[in-house]
Amino acid sequence: MRLALLLPLAAPALAEPVVPRFVDETAASGVESAYEGGWAYMVGGGVAAFDCSGDLRPELAFAGGERPASLWLNRTPVGGPLAFERGRSGIEMEAVTGLYPLDVEGDGLLDLMVLRNGESLLMRGLGGCRFEEAPASWGFERPEAWATAFAATWERGRDWPTLAVGTYIDPAEEFFPWGSCTDNLLYRPERRAFAAPLPLRPGHCALSMLFTDWARAGAPDLRVSNDREYYKGGSEQLWRMTDPPTPYTEAEGWRTLRIWGMGIAGRDLDGDGLQEYALTSMADNKLQALVLPQDGPLLPTYADVAFARGAIAQRPYTGGDVRPSTAWHVEWADVNADALPDLFIAKGNVSEMPDFAQADPNNLLLLREDGTFVEAGLEAGVASMRQARGAALVDLDLDGRLDLVVANRNAGAELWRNETEGGRWLQVRLEMPGANRDAVGAFVEVRAGGRTQSREVTVGGGHAGGQMGWWHFGLGGAGAAEVRVLWPDGTEGPWQRVEADGFVRLSPGAEPRPWEPG
Amino acid sequence: MRAWGGALAVALWAGAAGATIAPEEALATNTRLMLELVRHTPTYSPPVASRAFAYVGVAAFEAVAGGDPSLRSLAGQLNGLTPPPAREAGLDYDEGVLLQATLATMLAELFANTGPTGQRSLAGLSARLAEQAAEGLDPGVVARSRAQGEAVARHVLAWAATDGGAVVQNLGFPVAMELPGGPGAWTPTSRLVLQQLPLLPDWGFNRTFAMPDGASCPVADPIPYSEEEGSAFHLQAEEVLETSRALTQEQAEIARFWADDAMLSVTPPGHWVSIAQQVLDAREAPLDLRVEVMAVLGVALADAFIGCWREKYRFNTLRPVTYIRAQLDPVFEPLLLTPPFPEYPSGHSTQSGAAATVLTALLGEVAFTDRTGEDDGLAPRSFPSFWAAAEEAGLSRLYGGIHFRQAIEEGLAQGRCVGAYAAALETRR
Repeated sequence: MRLALLLPLAAPALAEPVVPRFVDETAASGVESAYEGGWAYMVGGGVAAFDCSGDLRPELAFAGGERPASLWLNRTPVGGPLAFERGRSGIEMEAVTGLYPLDVEGDGLLDLMVLRNGESLLMRGLGGCRFEEAPASWGFERPEAWATAFAATWERGRDWPTLAVGTYIDPAEEFFPWGSCTDNLLYRPERRAFAAPLPLRPGHCALSMLFTDWARAGAPDLRVSNDREYYKGGSEQLWRMTDPPTPYTEAEGWRTLRIWGMGIAGRDLDGDGLQEYALTSMADNKLQALVLPQDGPLLPTYADVAFARGAIAQRPYTGGDVRPSTAWHVEWADVNADALPDLFIAKGNVSEMPDFAQADPNNLLLLREDGTFVEAGLEAGVASMRQARGAALVDLDLDGRLDLVVANRNAGAELWRNETEGGRWLQVRLEMPGANRDAVGAFVEVRAGGRTQSREVTVGGGHAGGQMGWWHFGLGGAGAAEVRVLWPDGTEGPWQRVEADGFVRLSPGAEPRPWEPG
Repeated sequence: MRAWGGALAVALWAGAAGATIAPEEALATNTRLMLELVRHTPTYSPPVASRAFAYVGVAAFEAVAGGDPSLRSLAGQLNGLTPPPAREAGLDYDEGVLLQATLATMLAELFANTGPTGQRSLAGLSARLAEQAAEGLDPGVVARSRAQGEAVARHVLAWAATDGGAVVQNLGFPVAMELPGGPGAWTPTSRLVLQQLPLLPDWGFNRTFAMPDGASCPVADPIPYSEEEGSAFHLQAEEVLETSRALTQEQAEIARFWADDAMLSVTPPGHWVSIAQQVLDAREAPLDLRVEVMAVLGVALADAFIGCWREKYRFNTLRPVTYIRAQLDPVFEPLLLTPPFPEYPSGHSTQSGAAATVLTALLGEVAFTDRTGEDDGLAPRSFPSFWAAAEEAGLSRLYGGIHFRQAIEEGLAQGRCVGAYAAALETRR
């Protein structure tokens, strides 16, 4: 049983992970953005990281709530201090709750899904970090709802993406909003455009969605993490992407789980090719590991191993506030490059909930060799007490180390530069010809130092914001690695040798192409 | 709750036509809001919820009794309650404005710690109802009625502040506590951090309402703990396991119908408040009966939890899941979430026994259909009497795998004892 593998009872003493060092460069970075507003903006507040200028270094886009969203051009020198300049991009609109980049039409320019409390927009990338609303020929019907989650995939054989938009409470329910969760929407392709959206009913107030191939079956299903504060009769959901989609049931192995679901992040932690999923909530967070059956088919049955593995992040670990925490964005990232993915959780009170911590520091949980986690947020310098919502771990200065951006509610965003003297690293960028140029749905595998890592390329998850671009792997002390890509169409790429501490671009049937920032 | 949708719509939207709010509508709408706040306020575990229902019920009763000569104040009958401020003789009061002011003041105080959505609803609804209640009335009458309603509420809240249950920290879980050990002792059953210590261990020492104290309705000693096959304890554990393994569809439905989990439902006391509301609505009951039922029922539910908690921590017994996994089936999974506190006696059984006792005393043998869980996808269930519902609620804990039979039977008996104290209150002149 998989659980036993995750809980070594008599593991030998192992070295503690290298504690990363993050330097707060918010003030000098030039970024000034806050997710502002009252009740209508208590959730959301995401940040997106993606290149829109063509130089392969990530820009940042922030939701602004009652303030206009903003886009920040990356002017950071390689390995130098973080530096951004406000762009005039076309996304500067109010009521934005979240943003996710993806290349809808496969023109090599990233587009942007802009979630709003009101009408959400799909913005077409024009190059030069300019955006305009998608043309009518795309057929995208603006959803009119309190949009709070998003995911996208390219279903097998399609040359146009499938989008899922998660929605929250019915704003018309002024006094009794509980139980008023609105339908989520699924936009499937119809030739090279979107068909009219299908309702994913019942909706249970989604705060995170993720298309993910949990069973490695070659096709993703749709995970939806829902806020139990507002649904009645709801739970976490996994939709089978049939036509029409259908939710998995308990009879099919999907156990009822009711949490204040805020964020989803998947990563294979134990090298068996199947992903564990971190789910954020209030108080205890979840770390789900698939339960392997003794025999018979794989079922979507997960055991919660967060408590046993020290990933529960239930209450503040510093600052003296002992009340339970409130967790939002969640992301796996190897911040010390020791070839073990670490877990970042953005924390912050919903608003003024006195039963929950007000001084609620972000978590940085370092994965140990034995599969348990150790908290390092304070020592690493990222234990901010602002009301965090969205975040991104992304190499902003292209020095090979993952930097940190956190979007806060009613307070300024924060940026930290990673100056950890950690392990060696590799960053890969997937480039496919034709549709789905960023190879969404691919799995990237990296072998180094006797360990195989893998990650799924996805659009969605986290809380209200996503990334597209370079995918980072820590290599520990290894000076080289082998990398292969399982492409979305099922093609297995060959294992290809790459040197450590570099950027490589990978395409089907081609040799890795090193890239030098500069 | 769907059953109340019609009444609410009348209350909230009739204002445009110039209608005022009948006190019955104020009571129904605020009770509906309170049930939502109980579900969505994290400190509102079932015992805390029962306390709030009691104080709001008493406040509403006293507010109405101040102007209804047929009702007799509970001051002097409930432990520590002194007479509330009286109305001024010879002056007019509007019952809708007055009762709305009482309820709004009570809810704002008792749910001061609810989240932003609850605060938004509380503030918005209170303002809307107050505005509608006052429409077309003499401003002097409105001001006087509002002041009187608030004064009654403040009197009840001052009384509530001294009962031992007013401050709930860490969502009701001790920050530190040494767990008593030994064979058969309760041990944590969940992997949630807070729930490694049991809920509200001192709740049984709170001041009671109608019964003398938390020890007034003791239960029989639990069956002695034993791991021996054939022992009485082992047999009752086998019954839980075998029941779970052979669970029928209807038994599973019953278990879920009465699950009433904290933060996922209106809780067991809220479920009984909801039942009472449905029966009163079906009967088109007058205001005096409504406030009488809400006060006496609230008192019975609150006292029932105090008595139950006193016994739970006196005996500190383990849950079926703990015993069954250790002795009978290591992968046993109860249908319901096992609550984070000792097993004996069953809290829902005590609640249900107390509720059935007072509702039968006040409303008689009544057949009814309970739609409390309809919004959560739980089909309505019909019962020939309150006691039939109470007994089913008790058995639901066996079907759900979270209680042994003795805890259910003794819980119902304890509830009957507690309920008798509440039913003996003299509410009529």
